Amino acid sequence: MKFNKTIIAMLLAVYIGVPLAFGSDNYLMSLLVASLVIGGVALSWALLGNLGGMVSFGHAAFFGVGAYASAILSMKFGVPVLISILLGGVGAVVASLAMFPVLRLRGPYFALAILAYAHIFRILATQWTSVTGGAGGVSNIPRLPELFGYDLSSKTGGYLVILTIVVAFAAIYQYIRRSHYGLALRAMHESEDATRVIGVNSTLLKGLMLLVSAFMCGVVGAFNAHYINFLEPDYAFSGLWVTIPIVAAIFGGYRTITGPIVGAVVVYLIDQLIFKNIIPSGHQLVLGVLLVSMIIFSPDGLMPLLRKLTRRTHVAT
Amino acid sequence: MRHLSGSTRRALQLQMSPQEDLSEIIKLTSETKTMKTTYRRIGLAALVACGLGLSAAQADELLVGVELPLTGTLARVGAGMHEGIMVAADVFNKKNTKHQIKIITVDNESAPAKAIAAVEKLASQGVLAIDGGYGSNNIAPASDAANKLGLVYVTSGGVDDSLVNSGRKNFFRINNSAGYQKAMVGLLDDLKVKSVSILYSTKEATSALAHELEKTLKPKGVTVVVHAFDPAITDFKPIINKVKLQDKSEVIAMVGYENDYVGILRAARVLKPNVKAVVGVWSLATPKMAADFPDLMPNVYGTAVLPFPAEFKTPEGKSFSEAYQRIYKKEPDYLGQFGYVQSMLLFNAIARAADKGTLKKDGIAEEMRKTDSETLIGRVQFSSNGDNLNFSHRMGQHQGNKIVIVWPQADATGKANFPGVPW
Amino acid sequence: MTELILQALYSGVLQGGSYALIALGLALVFGAMKVINLAHGELVLLSAYIAYSVEAGLGWNPILAIPISLVVVCLTSAMVYYLVGRIKKDREINSLILTYGIGVILTNMILLIWKADVRTTGSTWMQEAMVVGPFYSMRSEVLFFAVSLVMMVGLWWWLSRSWYGRAVRAVSSNRDAAKLMGIDPGYTELVSFVVAGILAAVAGVALYSYGVVSPAYGSVLTVKAFIITVLAGIGSIPGVLIGALLLGVAEALTVTLASSALQELVGMGLFLLVLFVMPNGLFGAKGRRG
Repeated sequence: MKFNKTIIAMLLAVYIGVPLAFGSDNYLMSLLVASLVIGGVALSWALLGNLGGMVSFGHAAFFGVGAYASAILSMKFGVPVLISILLGGVGAVVASLAMFPVLRLRGPYFALAILAYAHIFRILATQWTSVTGGAGGVSNIPRLPELFGYDLSSKTGGYLVILTIVVAFAAIYQYIRRSHYGLALRAMHESEDATRVIGVNSTLLKGLMLLVSAFMCGVVGAFNAHYINFLEPDYAFSGLWVTIPIVAAIFGGYRTITGPIVGAVVVYLIDQLIFKNIIPSGHQLVLGVLLVSMIIFSPDGLMPLLRKLTRRTHVAT
Repeated sequence: MRHLSGSTRRALQLQMSPQEDLSEIIKLTSETKTMKTTYRRIGLAALVACGLGLSAAQADELLVGVELPLTGTLARVGAGMHEGIMVAADVFNKKNTKHQIKIITVDNESAPAKAIAAVEKLASQGVLAIDGGYGSNNIAPASDAANKLGLVYVTSGGVDDSLVNSGRKNFFRINNSAGYQKAMVGLLDDLKVKSVSILYSTKEATSALAHELEKTLKPKGVTVVVHAFDPAITDFKPIINKVKLQDKSEVIAMVGYENDYVGILRAARVLKPNVKAVVGVWSLATPKMAADFPDLMPNVYGTAVLPFPAEFKTPEGKSFSEAYQRIYKKEPDYLGQFGYVQSMLLFNAIARAADKGTLKKDGIAEEMRKTDSETLIGRVQFSSNGDNLNFSHRMGQHQGNKIVIVWPQADATGKANFPGVPW
Repeated sequence: MTELILQALYSGVLQGGSYALIALGLALVFGAMKVINLAHGELVLLSAYIAYSVEAGLGWNPILAIPISLVVVCLTSAMVYYLVGRIKKDREINSLILTYGIGVILTNMILLIWKADVRTTGSTWMQEAMVVGPFYSMRSEVLFFAVSLVMMVGLWWWLSRSWYGRAVRAVSSNRDAAKLMGIDPGYTELVSFVVAGILAAVAGVALYSYGVVSPAYGSVLTVKAFIITVLAGIGSIPGVLIGALLLGVAEALTVTLASSALQELVGMGLFLLVLFVMPNGLFGAKGRRG
């Protein structure tokens, strides 16, 4: 991994600059945390789409399973919160194992099969009252702990945790892409038959990507549970954890690594800070319009669009 | 003000509007006909003008923040509650010259993260307390955020008991699921029902209520059969058929929302099970349901705060109804009623704290804890954990195109039609 | 017990007929263009709300709303087609996301226009019980079951006998060959979208008459329609009916024999089962595996 100056500068900016500048504005920090949660899900979604070649409409399944797993582990078994968040990711991985049979399905079938899983998990969470508290949900989920004397359950603390999670995942994503797994996966996209001929087990690779994506999404879901401290099936498996990350990823450019994250933050902030004040009731409509426009005009997202525009101006001079 | 006559001073001290003060004083002073009177008249008029100016300056603006779901899945309930809050502000401001309440509303889009953000946005705009919230999933984190910022949080939209059992110091709610359950059980007791089939939606509030109902009825020797249904179900015939052929209960209890009630009643009208009554909970015994679904409502029971047509006996009730008609041109429903009650209690507490000068020193929370008022929903007092333990709803029945309160007997405006079903 | 099960079967069959009407439009477009219109459920919902406006605003019977619905829904469907046609690459995946976005737009538009209240017909005629032997149902359910069958027969006839119908089948099986034979594939695909709109319009009015609608219901409908399409297999109209009946009956039996909280689980479970065991669906053509 190359640690060039831009990356270091950006990391410094978000880790130190942002809290210093905005740390006292609780409202803005809340928005940032929420947008980074979306960004994390968007990243895991894009990873599955890019490296695994599979579009999914059911990432809410991983989000919810991770959330519940972490909540239950920390509440009923006393597991320390930070560890239970990681275990929440593991829980989502276990859930994704149940999805392996649908891996061999083509695009739309896979996408909607995952959605079916999300519905099933939601109903399981509602019915399995002894473990999940049923429809009433789980309340008073433990907060993020104190680490080296710094209270992570504070606004800035939560921000730093989710930021670390997202940055770590982006690094993992980059690592996979650069590794020979990534090469194999890209070759697979070009021609699945050809790669199979040379001995690449495409289904296994796809399965691995599903596991990674599930883990990431599960961890983000677990973080969210400890940040909100209340969980119920309709919220944990809500369709919004599907829609908004997709909009964010497509908007930011789902072929890139930073695209989904930047897309999430930008879309969320613009929606909450600008559109919500102009069109109080209809601003979610704007998200749909955004999605439609992006798919038609620039399916690779905002970054490539900007690049295209700047390139044109370069040529003009 | 010492040189004013006693009656004039009294006139000035009464809570009359400045114009009324003025005319009352002029009337009193015109009774004497000397030159002194003329001078006195001028002097008094000048004084009253100063008083007017003073009181206008004294009417301070107290900011109250409202965070509610105005979009998203809970949009309907949020909008209803919002109406009640705005009516409360209107009525309060008309009666109060010293303090004027100003409402700032932020939509929480039915999402917990946005509810937290809404509370923080309102706090940054300098509100003194947070009013609103619906759904325990949203209220829990929002009230925690309010707590951290030292703001009182008042709601009528969270029935989960963990809300009041988690050590929240600034949290107050005027209703709870126990109150709904008391009403339903009370009615069933009165009607001496021996067997009930409870149909409930597997959502948070409805499951909690259904389970409580079951736990309370069984020890009384009532046969209870419960049927949980997925909120997405639209065809209730299979469930009603089970009730008709297997349960053979005397009463069907429905714990759900409007679409569930409509579906259940429709299926029942088709299958005609042999029951003596159909009882539901919120959003059922309303004039809106009677108007939208006239064939499904006759003799159906539901929780209701007021009968319809509402006969407001107290002056407060009258001003509430009149304001609602004036602003929203419609009859208040249970959401508006709750929103109104919680807000009036909050506004009064804020006003008292403002008078004592304790606004910045947890004064509002203190005043809220001292609350003991008769309201549209009965007597409200807050226990140490912020719950209104007096809360007990009333049951109404659709009779003709009216809604008659049939339980508790003390508040009843009519007799129950029992047995009676809409088919 | 038998009485319960028989009634459940009867209700399930009637419900299945209505599901088939909802699913047909999606299945048609999928079969013709290999495009899944995830906004299809919202089209049905739009039609249902138009029926509501007609009944509440003008006081007419909802059936009279069908002509108005037809116009509005077909225009919307044509617009969806136009937008899908603008996709330049990766049509299969991008059309999924595109129609998903259109679905979000439609749902929010419906929310803005008609607010969040639940709606259903107030017409007594529609809600009256109809007793056939030991079986109970609502008049509207039986009526629209019959309508559904009629429309299915009509669609089948159209696809196999009429010029445009056969053109649609030609284009879906081999686009280039069809072009060579003089068929305009773009226009034909537009036709299939419009026909899907007609089906959605009638399905929406039916839904309003026997069920309860709310703005969020559109996505639920789309998912159900897709499940049925998968059950049926590509390109099979009778398959859609059988799949829909299967779903309806399975749901009713689950509610009766197990718990009504599991009704949605049945649909999902059935869906996954078919995907594992018979990815081609019950009647589908071969060559569908990834």
